[in-house]
Amino acid sequence: MAEFLTTIKTSELPAGGIVAVDVRGTQVALANVDGTYYAFDDACTHEQCSLAEMGELAGTTVTCTCHGSEFDVRTGKVLAPPATVPVKVYPTRVEGDALHIDV
Amino acid sequence: MAKSYVIVGGSLAGATAAITLREEDAEPSVTLIGAEREPPYERPPLSKAYLRGDVPFDKSLVRPAAFYLEHRIEAMFGIRATRIDVSSRFVQLEDGRRAPFDALLIATGSRNRRFSIPGSELEGIYSLRTVEDADRIRAEMIPGRRVVVVGMGFIGSEVAASLRQKNLDVVAIEPAKTPLFRVLGEAVGQRIADLHRAHGVRTIFEDTVAAFEGTQRVARVITKGGLRLECDFVVAGIGVEPVVDILDGTGVQMDNGVVVDQYCQTNVPGIYAAGDVANHYHPVFERQMRVEHWHNAVKQGAAAARNMLGKGVPYDEIHWFWSDQYDANLQYAGFHTKWEQLVVRGRLDSGSFLAFYINDGRIDAVVGLNRAKEVRRAIPLIKARRKLNLGPLQDESIDLRSLNPAD
Repeated sequence: MAEFLTTIKTSELPAGGIVAVDVRGTQVALANVDGTYYAFDDACTHEQCSLAEMGELAGTTVTCTCHGSEFDVRTGKVLAPPATVPVKVYPTRVEGDALHIDV
Repeated sequence: MAKSYVIVGGSLAGATAAITLREEDAEPSVTLIGAEREPPYERPPLSKAYLRGDVPFDKSLVRPAAFYLEHRIEAMFGIRATRIDVSSRFVQLEDGRRAPFDALLIATGSRNRRFSIPGSELEGIYSLRTVEDADRIRAEMIPGRRVVVVGMGFIGSEVAASLRQKNLDVVAIEPAKTPLFRVLGEAVGQRIADLHRAHGVRTIFEDTVAAFEGTQRVARVITKGGLRLECDFVVAGIGVEPVVDILDGTGVQMDNGVVVDQYCQTNVPGIYAAGDVANHYHPVFERQMRVEHWHNAVKQGAAAARNMLGKGVPYDEIHWFWSDQYDANLQYAGFHTKWEQLVVRGRLDSGSFLAFYINDGRIDAVVGLNRAKEVRRAIPLIKARRKLNLGPLQDESIDLRSLNPAD
């Protein structure tokens, strides 16, 4: 059964922004793509750079600027190397101004 | 009949080309020939995480070994291609087989330059290119041992950092005034020297190795300046040269590697080159260039594959690379050989800055220390090839993305 956790207020995350939140000891990145919210592991699967800190969001692609790996924030799929392993993604849900993620 | 594509070079460029050929066309036969025994792997970790023992080799494979068979890529690893027959269109392999081709990609990469000075045959003198080289160096990496690193280009600098991170005693010697002097210049190079000294490297600039001494195994390095550096082993990073032997007698034009056009094609139709070996015409910079970095291997390998399939896509990627040393992330984008002006954003002595290499009012290249995002944001400004008002580049309150390259 899905267990949605409340994270941040949507007003805290402007379009094009990424922030990391601690979810039970795991850093999860939250991204706002034109009003749609995505959640994925904050650590780049290549060398663990923080995607909230080092990532550049363009559309639904996040580029880890440390070494250039690109991921699709909707699916976690690797779009460009050097990363080879997808990032884990989490379902999100907005209720009022609260952003929930399913972990 | 399905076409045959052959790639000589089990390199990152070669493997990426093979993967791209198969991704974009299920039909043709794709053959990947590599002289190294291992399936193609990425070399950046060899001077860093792999050298330090932080990641296993498998993490560096471009694809798992089984991938090639699963995707009907005929992979021949540990086999050397010895000759190309241009008129009959086949590659001769050392085991007697022939690989016929409709289109051929040369992705043979580069090899390390070697010393030709007294004592260079002694044991304990290493260079770094292959995983076997890295393993030999790793076997010497016992904390407290004394190493002389010869050459402070990217490989020498990264190896020096990894050795210090494993608590070896490191002396680094470089003929120029600073590390990375030829590429980055004195002002930036000085900051890299500071970084290494802050981490305990003894740096020696404007001096070179005259000889190695020892009985059977190297025991000391003698410099032209008269220094005697006692050591347990030596790692040299003194540059590379493109591997073009296989093209002897083919009529393929060579000049600082294999000369190719913006479609990665040589003067011989159907023969292409990509990666370290390719001296390519860059349509953005309107000149030939040869680039020995990971990103070029990936992007040009893929571009060559698409052009082998007849897609006619110019290769116009803005070159980019990173170098991690200690906790510092150094990145470069663009292409420059000289510069009229160096415009700095941030302070050079602050551990975080960008430096723009400017010619004729245009940004040819940018280097960033711990400024990864801004290096990426500068790429459109480089690609535009427009004269820019340089003031805003130095103004940290202005987001580089707000500088419209078309203005």
